[in-house]
Amino acid sequence: MSSLSYIFKRLLLTIPTFFLVMVIIFLLVRMLPGDPAIAMAGDRASDADIQAIRERLGLTQPMFVQFWLFLTNTLQGDLGRSILMRTDVTTVIADRLPITVFLTIYSVVLSLLIAGPLAFVAALNRGRWPDAVIRTVFQIGLSMPVFYIGLVLLTFLAAQLRLFPVGGYGDTFGERLYHLFLPSVTVALYTSAIIMRNLRSAIIEVLDAEYVQFARAKGLPARLILGRHVLRNALISTVTLLGLSIGNLMSGTLVTETVFAVPGMGRLMLEAIFARDYPLIQGLTLTFALLVSLVFLMTDLFQSRLDPRMRLQ
Amino acid sequence: MKLKTVLGITVAATLAMPVVAQERGGTLNFARYDGSRLIDPIYADRNPDIWMVGSLFDTLLRGSADGNSVEPGLAESYSVSDDGKTVSLTLREGVLFADGSPLTGEDVVFSLDRARNPDLSPWGGLLGSIESVSADGNTVTLSLSAPDPTILSMLATFNTAIVSKAAFDSAAGDTDQDKSAAIFAATTAGVGSGPFYLCGFEQGASMDFCANEHYWRMGADGKALPYLDGVHFEIVPDDATRILRLQAGEVDAAEFIPFSRVAELETDPNINMQLYPSTRIIYSPINTRETRADGSPNPMADPRVRQALNYATNKDALIGVVLHGAGQPMSSPLMAKATQYAADLNPLYAYDLDKAKALITEAGVQPGTEVTLTTLAGSADDATIFAALQQMWGELGLSLVVEQVDNATRGAKNRSGEFDIHTYGWVNDVNDPSQVVGWLGYTPTAKAVGTGWENPEFNELFEKAASEMDPEARKAQFARMQEIYAEAAPLLFMYETPFAVALGKAVDGYVQTPLGNNIFDEATVSR
Repeated sequence: MSSLSYIFKRLLLTIPTFFLVMVIIFLLVRMLPGDPAIAMAGDRASDADIQAIRERLGLTQPMFVQFWLFLTNTLQGDLGRSILMRTDVTTVIADRLPITVFLTIYSVVLSLLIAGPLAFVAALNRGRWPDAVIRTVFQIGLSMPVFYIGLVLLTFLAAQLRLFPVGGYGDTFGERLYHLFLPSVTVALYTSAIIMRNLRSAIIEVLDAEYVQFARAKGLPARLILGRHVLRNALISTVTLLGLSIGNLMSGTLVTETVFAVPGMGRLMLEAIFARDYPLIQGLTLTFALLVSLVFLMTDLFQSRLDPRMRLQ
Repeated sequence: MKLKTVLGITVAATLAMPVVAQERGGTLNFARYDGSRLIDPIYADRNPDIWMVGSLFDTLLRGSADGNSVEPGLAESYSVSDDGKTVSLTLREGVLFADGSPLTGEDVVFSLDRARNPDLSPWGGLLGSIESVSADGNTVTLSLSAPDPTILSMLATFNTAIVSKAAFDSAAGDTDQDKSAAIFAATTAGVGSGPFYLCGFEQGASMDFCANEHYWRMGADGKALPYLDGVHFEIVPDDATRILRLQAGEVDAAEFIPFSRVAELETDPNINMQLYPSTRIIYSPINTRETRADGSPNPMADPRVRQALNYATNKDALIGVVLHGAGQPMSSPLMAKATQYAADLNPLYAYDLDKAKALITEAGVQPGTEVTLTTLAGSADDATIFAALQQMWGELGLSLVVEQVDNATRGAKNRSGEFDIHTYGWVNDVNDPSQVVGWLGYTPTAKAVGTGWENPEFNELFEKAASEMDPEARKAQFARMQEIYAEAAPLLFMYETPFAVALGKAVDGYVQTPLGNNIFDEATVSR
């Protein structure tokens, strides 16, 4: 199968996925107790006021009519009007999207920079002290809650040592790298622990494989063995894992963006849920779903490059 | 005691400020717990919006420092006719909006008509007595359908602040709300005459106020207020991060400091920890309906059970564990101490376990009866309150279980009566007891804060007080309402808490009023 038709097939598969996401999120937000009219009008409003708001928001229409409107409007690129922000959902999301994407990519890069070299060191020193130290440290990192690591880093590196700013997110690219270092590294510590563990055992497995033993016996230089044979084969499962953990990374932004006061989509999602802002919750969920599908697509494509067998299936 | 001391120090510090060398200029950086969304007198419906209205807009009258009377504002004088049905106000000469255009009687009529329109403003009901507003030159006349003892207080409240008619006439949008949103988004100077105007806004991130150079009130140096060039707000929702930003010197002030951190910050030499007296009360509505939502009989329908719960609750212990001492037990069942007409019934249900046990036995409540406390998920305060009450009420043989929900769910349950007891808080928006009493006790407004409690004498007194022009008679009516309410105990009466704000040493003159309003008029920063 050519890679173009592969991409096409993958894209077709995302259509039912999206439809399902839309159905689920539409039903989920409406199953939550407390509707947007109550959240909006506040406790002091009269029942008549609440009813008026419900009518204005279109919440009195039958469910299937509401869903049909949601579906057709979304297909036309109209995500509705945010109840909370009193402006178009697309505008609000477009405002917040870049910062969350930046944070996510930054965290991924940092995770790879941390996990990659250390996985090699650990695998090549299997069973000896560097391996033990690396694995212990990462185990601790993995078992600490993200918000706690974030606060510890803020307290020591930012508030006391003044190496980094506590808040703000900068205007230029360079400023962003500096301001968002702590939030990104907080998330990266967790992800890199997962990646490190997987990459380490994958490398060990490949190192023990017969073709690597054979290459060694042939007397190929170590660098060539590691680069061409070991890394490439060990990466296959790691790329899958990385793809999957980007989904986690994005849900992690709900916490990190709040702790570090970064005005991104994660914090917006929290605010939207608390205010029962249906259009905004729906819009944000769709955007997150779109981003995650995009990442999965890229993961698959990258994998099919790494492993030609995938293209033949 | 502590609060009084802090207030005393603030007042003394203000009096001691040198009159000649007035600190001027600079920008104050302020870390907020939540952001504003639309600062408009009539659309402001959340505290982060309401509490900023006074910085951008002016009201005709202003609340006095003690909150119990009004002073001239945009109106330099005012009078109420003998029959109480006409209010005449004379506008101050030469007041300008922040863009330099004059503020006229036409703007006042436009603003008040907007404010009392129930289709536009959620606060319209508070101005229900106004029949018409008219202006002739500098004289503004309000005709009332009936005497209204709250009208002067209302003219000093955020929702009657004056906006520029011209700004609304020229704004883009079909509806008044669209126009208001467009004006807010444009961040220009033309809409208000307050000490500042909005000059920067980034949704969910930051907001900037710039000094209004045309502001009419004078500072201690004889020049126009405000002293600051501007205020820069940043939204930092996490409590710990907000404090860290202040400690790192990135901001000059951090609001809503958790009480568990107050003692620690008080010892920090670089921080001036302020506890501003407030009208905030924390209480727990008790479901008083005969049956619970699931149809089972409700033991708390019996007032003796509700009284027992109040007697069995050690308020001082709660204040100790939740507020780390920074609070005081409620002394009026219906309002904070600082509210006009608040009765001092202190001690209100002083801790008395024997009395509580006797009442619960008398009411015939079986040991092991389950009571559910609905708390806010993630609220450390609520979790502590639950743990303390579980222990305290265990002495009565009650088994307290917890149900954690989010804010929107709690609101819905309160409305439908699907709860036993839950926690709530209140801060007055108006310098008059009618608002809070209407919320907590008057059945037609909000089913007495969702408790379902109804008392005909109370409702009748409330309606009478709404048009009682004799302050003494009105005071007596409110006194009787407080008596009835204390006896019936539809609430678990807990405590009052101050507003905790941590300021950097550079800041002086910042105030948060008992109503919560953030006042930067006379604030300074010295760097």
